Amino acid sequence: MKPGAIIPSNVASLRSLTVTMAVMSYLACLAIGALILVDRAVDAWTDGLSREMTVQVRQVRTADITGEVEKARRILEDYPGVVEVQVLSDSESAKLLEPWLGVRALEGLPVPRLIRVVTNKGKNFDDDALADRLSVVQGVYLDTHQKWEVELTRMGRALSVLSSLILVLISLSAVAIVIFATRAVLQANKPVVDLLHLVGAYDRYIARQIDGRFVRTGLVAGFMGVAMGLLTFLGLSLTGVGGGGGFASASGTLLFAPPAIAVWSYAALFSVPVAATVICLVTSRLTLLRLLGSVL
Amino acid sequence: MLRLDGVGLRYGSGPEILRDITFAMRSGDFYFLTGPSGAGKSSLLRLLFLALKPTRGTVNIFGEDVGHLTRNRLALIRRRIGVVFQEFRLLDHLTTFDNVALPLRVAGKSESSYRRDVLDLLDWVGLADQARAFPPILSGGEKQRAAIARAVIAKPELLLADEPTGNVDPILAKRLLHLFVELNRLGTTMLIATHDQGLVRQADRPILHLESGVLTQQ
Repeated sequence: MKPGAIIPSNVASLRSLTVTMAVMSYLACLAIGALILVDRAVDAWTDGLSREMTVQVRQVRTADITGEVEKARRILEDYPGVVEVQVLSDSESAKLLEPWLGVRALEGLPVPRLIRVVTNKGKNFDDDALADRLSVVQGVYLDTHQKWEVELTRMGRALSVLSSLILVLISLSAVAIVIFATRAVLQANKPVVDLLHLVGAYDRYIARQIDGRFVRTGLVAGFMGVAMGLLTFLGLSLTGVGGGGGFASASGTLLFAPPAIAVWSYAALFSVPVAATVICLVTSRLTLLRLLGSVL
Repeated sequence: MLRLDGVGLRYGSGPEILRDITFAMRSGDFYFLTGPSGAGKSSLLRLLFLALKPTRGTVNIFGEDVGHLTRNRLALIRRRIGVVFQEFRLLDHLTTFDNVALPLRVAGKSESSYRRDVLDLLDWVGLADQARAFPPILSGGEKQRAAIARAVIAKPELLLADEPTGNVDPILAKRLLHLFVELNRLGTTMLIATHDQGLVRQADRPILHLESGVLTQQ
């Protein structure tokens, strides 16, 4: 004959806690997903930007611009760390300005010539030394995109901090909800708890009878939240909701990335049920011991 | 075994329910606690089974001042005290068997180690066929017997009973008295609060009388 559970299993406040914790876990999943997506996007953008630079050669009154471009190309090709040099033709350079100035306005304008440079992004690559070498070219300007890279990194960091802050707030809310639910469960079972005290139960024995329920609640709610989160990302990746293919494909890569990358995404997302369980266990245990310790 | 010195008790800022209670019980004593309703018998018992702290005075049980015990020590003292509550305090979601076995379970014993003892005791109090029944379907007398069985299952050194025969017929009351006398003979110290003068006369034991919060020995 297996002994019955000392604390009644049908506890209404735990059902409400399951729903609330599932919603919290879902929000945590979205915040983690956003954190991963922003992190990856910023990485990809800054990687592209830091590997590429542009050399502009402007028409200077006395100089032969074609000769100056050629001079710049040779310097770039000889420079260590440069892996690709692409000189854009007049028409290609003009085409880049067309959307802003129109075709007619460009006629007769001294459009600068552009050279796209791809580097190996080595640690020893020295932008300043390259700029120094290029200074023999008249009308030259080296754009390393550093300003954009700094801006993107700053924006990415701000979004990451924001997502982390949201995760902290969700965790704090979860802790507050578990404390509230623990009080409710204890109140609902006061006669049982009083009797257990009177027959000589230790506080930790009583706490163990109750916090097991909270562990199960945290685990179940955490997995419900992750399941809803994964379905949301799947839905976004399939429908492209949220402003276009970029976001949809990003959501897709979160779920269907190569295993080496996906394992980290899934590990981060599945840390939610673990965190929900730990929050439920630790918070309920500490709250129970504090409350039980306050009665005779 | 048990000593109260100048104990007073009041609930909140109300009048004093118990006043200057001073008495001692030695191991193996058997006392009845009598007095009119509202005299403070249940409050005195609550002090003794450590559900309340006195507002003044000291309560000393098993040689320890209960006012200065750690929570774990308090729990260990309670395990040495069996209590029959006036309102039974059976847990409705547990079977009669599990209710009776509760003190042993709380003490960390396995079901296999106490199963025989619990079934034997249930048989003795006439509840063998109700072992799997839940308290809501038990009669008042059956609940009373289950509550008594729970109080004595762990062979307590001190048994406190609040109206233990209040819901049973005279024949069962006599059997229960026999059980109490037998437990006392085996070394359990007894304090039984009752209105049942017949029970008091049959047992022929010393009486503590409580009236208007003042305790006298008769």
